Amino acid sequence: MIDVIDLYKSFGELEVLRGVSTHVGRSQVVCVIGASGSGKSTFLRCLNLLEIPDRGRITIDGVELMEHRKQINKLRRKMGMVFQQFNLFPNMTARSNVALGPSQALGMSRADASARAEALLSKVGLADKVDEFPNRLSGGQKQRVAIARALAMGPDIMLFDEPTSALDPEMVGEVLQVIKQLAQDGMTMIIVTHEMGFAREVADRVLFMDQGVIAEDAPPERIFRSPEKERTREFLSKVL
Amino acid sequence: MEGVLYELTNSLYINLIREERYLMLIRGLRVTLEVTLYSVLLGVIIGLITAVIRITEPKGLVRLATAYVEVVRGTPVVVQMVIIYYAILGGSNLPKVLIASIAFGINSGAYVSELIRAGIQAVPRGQMEAARSLGLTWTQAMRFVIVPQAIKNILPALVNEAIVLIKETAVVGYIALDDLTRAGNIIRGRTFDAYTPFLLVALVYLYTTTTLSIFAGKLERRLRESD
Ligand SMILES: Nc1ncnc2c1ncn2[C@@H]1O[C@H](COP(=O)(O)OP(=O)(O)O)[C@@H](O)[C@H]1O
Ligand SMILES: [Mg+2]
Repeated sequence: MIDVIDLYKSFGELEVLRGVSTHVGRSQVVCVIGASGSGKSTFLRCLNLLEIPDRGRITIDGVELMEHRKQINKLRRKMGMVFQQFNLFPNMTARSNVALGPSQALGMSRADASARAEALLSKVGLADKVDEFPNRLSGGQKQRVAIARALAMGPDIMLFDEPTSALDPEMVGEVLQVIKQLAQDGMTMIIVTHEMGFAREVADRVLFMDQGVIAEDAPPERIFRSPEKERTREFLSKVL
Repeated sequence: MEGVLYELTNSLYINLIREERYLMLIRGLRVTLEVTLYSVLLGVIIGLITAVIRITEPKGLVRLATAYVEVVRGTPVVVQMVIIYYAILGGSNLPKVLIASIAFGINSGAYVSELIRAGIQAVPRGQMEAARSLGLTWTQAMRFVIVPQAIKNILPALVNEAIVLIKETAVVGYIALDDLTRAGNIIRGRTFDAYTPFLLVALVYLYTTTTLSIFAGKLERRLRESD
């Protein structure tokens, strides 16, 4: 489904990605863990070209992303992105947040886009919040709207960048629940997270990123029980 | 005490009532407000164009836009106005109010373009990223997400720009336009009273700017509430 080959990215002098390669198959759930600053967000942002990699290849179903930069808007529709800070549009209701993509990028009619928004907001448990503005929603509710907004484009793959890191502890569960449901529905996902219990539960594979490379790539039971690399062990002993 | 009171009423009478001089102040205020209004409108149009050029950076035009802002910000507005009046538009038959408005509009446009740029830059980066990650084009993201939020930042600043213009246009007397300040000056010349006319002029300016300033505050609060 998605292939990443030898990705490099620097910000000025700072080499953030130094040869990242991986493959994610359809309906796979891959969790990315690693210390802050190890390049997890940059990796994720390169996947939908919010950052342009310096070198390397990204292919989705055989289509090379960087060679199709002109069609980037089309390609991005196939990838949903959920941000740590939600990034909801404060000038729009939950419904409009979700409907904006379908109506503008997919050319859907207002009524259809609105109906899709309602259906998706119900799916994430916010049927009663469709006409609220973001400032009237809790963090957990905001993040669920953001997930519905990404789903509204009918993506083939969902990218999550620490979706629960900005939440109060009591709201983490409701967001993870929605993501788990997506996993059960067979959505392909790459999830950067610090929730190790969650990763263990939903991930098919866990990638440990360290200093701009994927240092270890293994199923969760292996990476959490008997990591191969010393660095992985060190990191896990700090967070578990 | 009685003497002071008598002097005050007397000078008010001479400077305000006799020969219906208050009418001069009212007409002057009208000119000041007209020039301000037209200047703001023109300034917004020019500022918008300039801001768009500076943000989208089309080849060739960026330097022009930057040079315009530099020239306007680097020279006194009264000099700009006099040059525009005598060297550029003096030969035309345009009314002086319009010529002054063009001069102040051009001047204001440079500042407004900065307000617009700042207002857009104040919208968090994540907003553009979220919009683009949905597959929206840059233009769609600007139109539906960034600009509506930027307007909330910009509107109160525009009212403040109007307040600045009300005061700055006090120099239109240089091209013999009878605004509020010049009306005060004319009264001074007729009554040989050095400061009472200007005291009255100051009060009228203060009343006008304070009213607008209160409006700007209310506007800002309203816009912030709906965030
Ligand atoms: N736009 C940017 N400009 C400059 N430096 C950046 C930028 N984005 C990220 N970085 C730097 O790249 C490094 C990796 O960042 P990031 O990918 O966000 O790591 P992580 O998500 O693993 O914490 C950090 O040192 C960060 O400061
Ligand atoms: Mg990060």
